[in-house]
Amino acid sequence: MKVLLVEDDRSVGEYIAGELDAAGYDCALVADGETGLRRAREGGFDVLVVDRMLPELDGLAIVQALREAGDSTPVLVLSALGEVDDRVQGLHRGADDYLTKPFSMAELQARLEVLHRRAGSSGDAPTRLQVGDLEMDLLSQEVRRRDTRINLQPREYKLLEYLMRHAGQVVTRAMLLEHVWGYHFDPQTNVIDVHVSRLRQKIDRDFDAQLLSTVRGAGYRLGGD
Amino acid sequence: MRVLQVLNSLTFRFIARYVIVLVSAVFAVMLLLFAYLSYGYFRELGDGIREELDTLEVVYRGQSLPGVQRYLRDQQSAPTGAHFSYLLTDARGAKLAGDLPRVPRYRELSGGWLAFQRALWFEGKSPDVDFLARSRDFGDGTRALVAYNFADAAQSGGMVFGTLVRAMVATLILGIIGGFFSASFAQRRLEEFSHRLSRIVRENVAERMPVEGEEGHLRELSLVTNSMLDQMSMLMQGIKQVSDNIAHDLRTPLTRIRNKLNQLRANLEPGGQEAVDRIIEDCDDLLSSFNALLRISALESGSRATADQALDLAVLLGDVVELYEPLANDKDIALRLEAPASCAVRGDSDLLFQLFANLVDNAIKYTPRGGEIAVALEGAGDSGARVEVRDSGPGIPAADRKNAFRRFYRLEASRGKEPGHGLGLALVQAIVQHHRGEVSLGDNRPGLRVRVELP
Repeated sequence: MKVLLVEDDRSVGEYIAGELDAAGYDCALVADGETGLRRAREGGFDVLVVDRMLPELDGLAIVQALREAGDSTPVLVLSALGEVDDRVQGLHRGADDYLTKPFSMAELQARLEVLHRRAGSSGDAPTRLQVGDLEMDLLSQEVRRRDTRINLQPREYKLLEYLMRHAGQVVTRAMLLEHVWGYHFDPQTNVIDVHVSRLRQKIDRDFDAQLLSTVRGAGYRLGGD
Repeated sequence: MRVLQVLNSLTFRFIARYVIVLVSAVFAVMLLLFAYLSYGYFRELGDGIREELDTLEVVYRGQSLPGVQRYLRDQQSAPTGAHFSYLLTDARGAKLAGDLPRVPRYRELSGGWLAFQRALWFEGKSPDVDFLARSRDFGDGTRALVAYNFADAAQSGGMVFGTLVRAMVATLILGIIGGFFSASFAQRRLEEFSHRLSRIVRENVAERMPVEGEEGHLRELSLVTNSMLDQMSMLMQGIKQVSDNIAHDLRTPLTRIRNKLNQLRANLEPGGQEAVDRIIEDCDDLLSSFNALLRISALESGSRATADQALDLAVLLGDVVELYEPLANDKDIALRLEAPASCAVRGDSDLLFQLFANLVDNAIKYTPRGGEIAVALEGAGDSGARVEVRDSGPGIPAADRKNAFRRFYRLEASRGKEPGHGLGLALVQAIVQHHRGEVSLGDNRPGLRVRVELP
């Protein structure tokens, strides 16, 4: 995956680029907004990672310029402040995701994967989701594994839907909170784990193959890679 | 109560002391003046009596008894001048001439002076008619006595003295009353001052004492107090800044350590992996503390721009309860939501979610197995809402409730036992204050009752 990282803080930028390279990404580092926008326009990147605060041309301006030019390359905005309003504004102006510094590399990688995969899947909305022998009918909202029907609470259904839509990818707890519950907050305890283990009880308990696995230090993954 | 307060006040005591000293001084001066005038009066009187005796002696020696009698008649009929009383007696004490009937019973004073009261022989008259007298022997047994009635003088002297005393008492009373009112005025000003100051210290350290319109000492005191408050805020700010800086600067290396550990664990044996997992968990706990600390600071300093959107608090609380329901369930705790169908408030939904998530999280943490937690929402008219999170845990002793909102404050009882960094309630308070609401802790008998009021 080719990533363009626009980050003015040299040490932070080099650190992230180094980590991404080590993790098998192809990361290009640019230190200012003007160059960043030029490189992004030249194309060839799968995902852009842009710092919110940049000298001269800031991150949100880059996103806006790209979107106005019809470029739909997914953009993840990095912010040192993590201000909610900033986040809302960033997403409003065309950014696809927002991450507060400092973040764990696992979190960044999980989000990059999701963005990359989302960009790959063309706009057609599926009516069925399938992971292994687990099936979800989005119209009738029915969930089956092999021939057993699984009864889920509404939130469990949403949780499973999100996991199935990102099957094979690592999904972090923060991502689940943001997308399944719709709130961006910092839980004091791992309250998400309890929900996931309930879901796991329902979809995995009576079957040999375990679909939902925990990825230590990162989050969860549904299905194999 | 208030009167007592004023009477005990420093100002009143100063004024009272001043009035008493002043009145005593004036009284002493007046007394001195009175004594001086009285002395002059009696000396003149004595001189008059002596002269009269001299005259009588001269007349007696020159013209004998008939001359004296004539002289006395002349004196009695004189229309003006001091009227003396006279008595001339022979060697046996029998009356020879004069207007006094006989020798009175007298008291002897020093210097040959005599004093007597006329009423002793004039029945039916007021007894307090005092005479000052002097007698002289003319050598042949004949004695002359000249007396002067100083009752009028004594009476007017007494009146003067009485008036003086009354005036002094009146001055004293007026002074004390005046002192009371000035003191109560001063007291009120001081009370206003101290109320305001304690409110600043208690509620809003950013506020300052008013200097405009104040005068003199109070103005100076306000200025000094303000500069003291400035310094205090600066120090507080400094401490916060330092802890923020530490948190901020430690976050990045800590995140990197965490990332490195996460990469390393892949190459480790399962036993080693578990140990690394625990270190990673500790890193995550620390990072979450740092983040909470920085969020509190950002909220308190107002540097965090937040969303102000219309939202339904009933729905939000429903989401919180739904999120924490499985956690409560695992501890056999009944988590209930009592809320109307909807309740519109304005605010930042992420922050409000964080607020109530923290409260419910705490409640679950501290409520023993099998307990109860209620999240109760009451809309308050057109806008605003009151939310109570009540648990059946051990609660917080009344004395500790005020401190419970301080950063890193943890009750002795829970220190080391329950996980947590002691920032949950501090963040709650920061969020509530950011929404211009109020949060208070109470007793749920048994348990803790947290009340959040949002405008």
